Amino acid sequence: MLELSDLRKRFAGGPDAPDGKVALDGISFAVQPGEMFGFVGANGAGKTTTMRIVMGVLEADSGSVAWKGRPLEHADRRRFGYMPEERGLYQKMSVAEQVEYFGRLHGLGPSAARKATADLLERLGLTERRGDAVQALSLGNQQRVQLAVALVHDPELLVLDEPFSGLDPIAVDALVAVLQERCRGGVPVIFSSHQLELVERLCDSVGIVSSGRMVAAGTVAGLRSAEGGTLRVVVRDPAPGWADGLPGTVTVAGDRHELRAVDADDQEILRRALKAGRVEYFGVEQPTLTDIFKEAVA
Amino acid sequence: MNELMLVARREIVTQVRSRTFVIGLLVSAVLVAALAFAPKLFGGPDSYTLGVVNSQRLPVTAPQGATVEWRTYPDEAAARKALLDGDADAVVVNGSKVLSEGELDERLGVLLQVANREMKLDAQGVRVPPLQTEAVRADARYDAARGGMATTLTFLLFFTLVGQMMMVAMGVVEEKGSRIVEILLSSMKPWQLLGGKIAGLGVVGLINLVVIVCGGLGAATVSGLVVDFPPGMTGIVVGVLVWFLLGYVFYATLAAALASLVSRQEEVGSVMNPLMMALMGTYFVAFFAANEPNGTLAAVLSWVPPFSAMVMPVRMAATEIPLWEVAGSAAVMALAVAGALALGATVYRRAVLRTGARLKIRQVLSQR
Ligand SMILES: Nc1ncnc2c1ncn2[C@@H]1O[C@H](COP(=O)(O)OP(=O)(O)OP(=O)(O)O)[C@@H](O)[C@H]1O
Ligand SMILES: [Mg+2]
Repeated sequence: MLELSDLRKRFAGGPDAPDGKVALDGISFAVQPGEMFGFVGANGAGKTTTMRIVMGVLEADSGSVAWKGRPLEHADRRRFGYMPEERGLYQKMSVAEQVEYFGRLHGLGPSAARKATADLLERLGLTERRGDAVQALSLGNQQRVQLAVALVHDPELLVLDEPFSGLDPIAVDALVAVLQERCRGGVPVIFSSHQLELVERLCDSVGIVSSGRMVAAGTVAGLRSAEGGTLRVVVRDPAPGWADGLPGTVTVAGDRHELRAVDADDQEILRRALKAGRVEYFGVEQPTLTDIFKEAVA
Repeated sequence: MNELMLVARREIVTQVRSRTFVIGLLVSAVLVAALAFAPKLFGGPDSYTLGVVNSQRLPVTAPQGATVEWRTYPDEAAARKALLDGDADAVVVNGSKVLSEGELDERLGVLLQVANREMKLDAQGVRVPPLQTEAVRADARYDAARGGMATTLTFLLFFTLVGQMMMVAMGVVEEKGSRIVEILLSSMKPWQLLGGKIAGLGVVGLINLVVIVCGGLGAATVSGLVVDFPPGMTGIVVGVLVWFLLGYVFYATLAAALASLVSRQEEVGSVMNPLMMALMGTYFVAFFAANEPNGTLAAVLSWVPPFSAMVMPVRMAATEIPLWEVAGSAAVMALAVAGALALGATVYRRAVLRTGARLKIRQVLSQR
């Protein structure tokens, strides 16, 4: 289990911001074995900063990171897989050599590294390009190599900063399959993304950061029930003024009136709607992660 | 340690496989080999063709390794034509004047004057026994070869040091600028990455030197120059390699530290300026030492790091240096290397993850 407690980080300010810039203002969360944790937040919210602190690339001003109940050490990080926000590869090195090299650096023996590389390249659809220099690859394919580099040594924890950006739908599926497989094997996965539908679909739990603070965290279902559903009623050709005194907002499109309300007495609304006209739709809609996100960040 | 080896291996493999490396190495080896033939090619002509018009052939003693051939021309006009056609180097006319195409070759002029005087004196029955020559210093006969060797070595060390130093600097910036260093440093310590890079590129530099030196020595054997080489060549070669390593580690570590202050390849040149100047200074001093290996300046600077890194090996090639002096100055240089390593590693560790604007070295050092 990975546990972050009260991470704080302030960057030295330039001439325009002499006080510096608070990037993290007390971030805490935990990721369980086999859990897929989605890290979302607006641009500049502090996701990358948090991940860089976990990977030891950056030092927090205060707070701590624990791994399996003990303070995280350099030796632990060697068994982590990391995909930085700004992608970095040796441009002139060939794909296979590169992945193999990082495998070796993370402790694999020569033949194990070779085998793991071949397997991963196969799964990520890069086998044909294995001998090409990275600089000859398209951006999305370079991205796949970057992922292979993060995954090659069978990491005990995966920290991926926007791993899906720039991938085509096929590559997204391939990556999802690999991540889910690693997750099922008990590996905690943290990834940041701005593709909220994807996060909603994949993640057991999500954390929403805003201005360096965790404003909402938990399972997607939990966040939803906390948020509560939206009641939506569609009435065809109702009597004028039918919704007077009811909570929520009514939008009119032709002869269809749509009422949306949160935390309202649904039975009362239904009675009024039935009396007013023909009810075409009545239901409670669960908020999407996008709704929750907008609500939390607002 | 294992990580360091892996990093070093990557550097070596990447370099040795690159076309630039192979071509550069071949070109330098050929150049140095050519130098071994240079005395043959540029040491003046090996044979003189001399002519006479209406006069006696002079008793010219051909200089060592050269031959003299005589021709006879019917008149001065024929002689002039032969000279213009390049058929003869000089023609003696009427036993009183010498014609040549351009200005008379200096050495040939002296030979002819001496021969002429000798012949005239001889005619009067005066015998002049030639002066016996003897060098007082026992190893003096190696002076010419040693001087050539020392000069060649100055170039060789300088270019190898500059080349490898820039390689280190560019490698550091490549990793920093592309953020590969973020992944690398999550799996190893900064000193391992830095050490591996310096070690790997040092081995590449050594390969360079060894191939070129072997090429030069091989060519010298073929060209016959090798007979002029002083005894103890093995010691000199080993000394050169050791001194190269000392100088290389010194400069490469500082280069890595300076390079870690910037994030873009375009900035490498300017950030490396001070170090380049230092290396150029070392080069000039070494060049001077090659010509005057026993001068005071050379003797003093062969104790002062980082100058000693080039001055000492160059002096070792140029003249005989007592072993204690070599060992002593190597020890001083080793201390300087240790200092550079400590300083360089600190700067590198603190700066290499701070991407963005160029950092100032003072700001990095004063950081807690
Ligand atoms: N090296 C740095 N120097 C100064 N400020 C920084 C530095 N790195 C990050 N920051 C600031 O810290 C804050 C958090 O940045 P961070 O990169 O963590 O955001 P993010 O959530 O990853 O954003 P995005 O979605 O755009 O990637 C931002 O306001 C940013 O300006
Ligand atoms: Mg980010």
